[in-house]
Amino acid sequence: MTTPLPPGIELEKIDERIMTLNVGPQHPGSGHMRLIIKVDGDYIVSCDPDPGYVHRGEEKMAEYRNYIQNIPHLERPVIHDSSNILYPYCLAVEELLDIEVPERAKYVRVIASELNRCIYTLYWLAIYGIFLGHSTMFMWPAGDRELFIDLLEAMSGARVTHAFLVPGGVRNDLPANFEERCLRQVNYFEKRLKEYEAIFYQNPLLIARTAGTGILSRTDAIRLGTTGSVLRASGVDFDVRKKEPYDVYENLDFETVVMKEGDSYARSRVPYLEMFESCRIIKDALQKMPKSGSVRTKLKPNPKGGNDEVYRRVESGRGALGYYIVSNNRPEPYRVKISVGSFRNLICIPYLLKGEKLGNMPAVYWSLNYWPVEADR
Amino acid sequence: MSTAGGIIKALNSGMKHLAVKRFTLRYPEQKLKFVGDGFQFNPETGVGIAGLRGRHILYHEHCTGCQLCAVACEGIAEAIGMVKVNESWKQNKKAIMPQIDYGKCVFCGLCVDACPFYALYMTNDYELSSFTKSALIYTPAQLAVKPKMSQDVEIKIDDRGASHG
Repeated sequence: MTTPLPPGIELEKIDERIMTLNVGPQHPGSGHMRLIIKVDGDYIVSCDPDPGYVHRGEEKMAEYRNYIQNIPHLERPVIHDSSNILYPYCLAVEELLDIEVPERAKYVRVIASELNRCIYTLYWLAIYGIFLGHSTMFMWPAGDRELFIDLLEAMSGARVTHAFLVPGGVRNDLPANFEERCLRQVNYFEKRLKEYEAIFYQNPLLIARTAGTGILSRTDAIRLGTTGSVLRASGVDFDVRKKEPYDVYENLDFETVVMKEGDSYARSRVPYLEMFESCRIIKDALQKMPKSGSVRTKLKPNPKGGNDEVYRRVESGRGALGYYIVSNNRPEPYRVKISVGSFRNLICIPYLLKGEKLGNMPAVYWSLNYWPVEADR
Repeated sequence: MSTAGGIIKALNSGMKHLAVKRFTLRYPEQKLKFVGDGFQFNPETGVGIAGLRGRHILYHEHCTGCQLCAVACEGIAEAIGMVKVNESWKQNKKAIMPQIDYGKCVFCGLCVDACPFYALYMTNDYELSSFTKSALIYTPAQLAVKPKMSQDVEIKIDDRGASHG
């Protein structure tokens, strides 16, 4: 005989038809987060994403460190996109502390940011390939990513966590012969990127698995507040670099990639096409950059922000990434709030997976360009 | 048929790479070539000099024991501690110098930016693994030694693809 339950507690009734599956949090294709999926046979009835397993308390940590000491730990949520996650922080702190950034530093920051966007996208593409069972697509981007890692290592001195962008410019000037080396490697990479087309994007096997799955309509994309490549794959022409140009993006020549389909295929293709634009930006920036000059405004030893609040955002590899900083006349910020693209795109998972086959889950989930560590911060 | 054609095209683009050079390098024998002697910093201009951020090098003749490197590290990794040294320098009356725990260091290089006396730089040495945790703590005497590094491999790009030498 079963013991009676205490009053007020009810057990969940198990439906014989519906089964609950926990995907994650031990990274079986979900990242370090959990998807609570209810299936009816092979079809997903509902999906409830459960993030928070890799919460690091970055926002709270930022309240106990001064504006310079915050740099190394704020890039930890996305270590392979570390320039882009520091970029809005630097822009916000510069506005708080009234720092003027030298012209050359702006160009160097744009180059670092675009190189890092390529590193992030290639990493994501490698994972997207391997989760669809395409192991060549894991090896190729992972190898080509090395070209950009080498360039950023020559620029900043670190291969992954660069801590290169600081309020007031960048940490150090470009090394000698950097422009020539950068041009050579970016030109080679563009040639290499075209080879991805035949093996992956025109591959009938990929098209069969991704085209028409997880369709997000234009209205839904706007209503749910998605951002980045997810928004652009649904036909909305929005890119922070175009709409609210920061630093020198308004002088540079590039286009926003927009696709109308809104399915997993479009979401996987938009970041790929954006890598061509990134290469274009890098080459343009190398040409238009002042050949010499200061790259960093010297700060006071322990700079204090006034009684002020600032919000600045940039376009990262995963969408709009913003920092909201409140200061109260102290060397440490009073409050730092990070608004990340990953968390904003997470909300559309229940809508996309409803009615899909369970086998399509990785194809839809990874197409969202979602990074669990960044979402949890 | 377009499906069969697409698959053949995809296979073909992969097959082409059978003749391409290997991209990877044989690590312990071959080592990547880095820019410069390591990350350095010029306190006068406030701008660094590009180079790999590896293990530090400490110039005892410049160190004044001002502890600014330890203060900079406080909120970041807390890897730097000031220890007594048995040396007598005119500029370092207290005879204290930084000791770095590489089990904690994140190699951000902000301690190098903080040093106003050109005493702390970073070198190209990145091979710091050891069998014990205590061996990762580098004393000021160990930090003064300039590491010997042999690096010769660079990314090469030709018509057969990119490769590491």
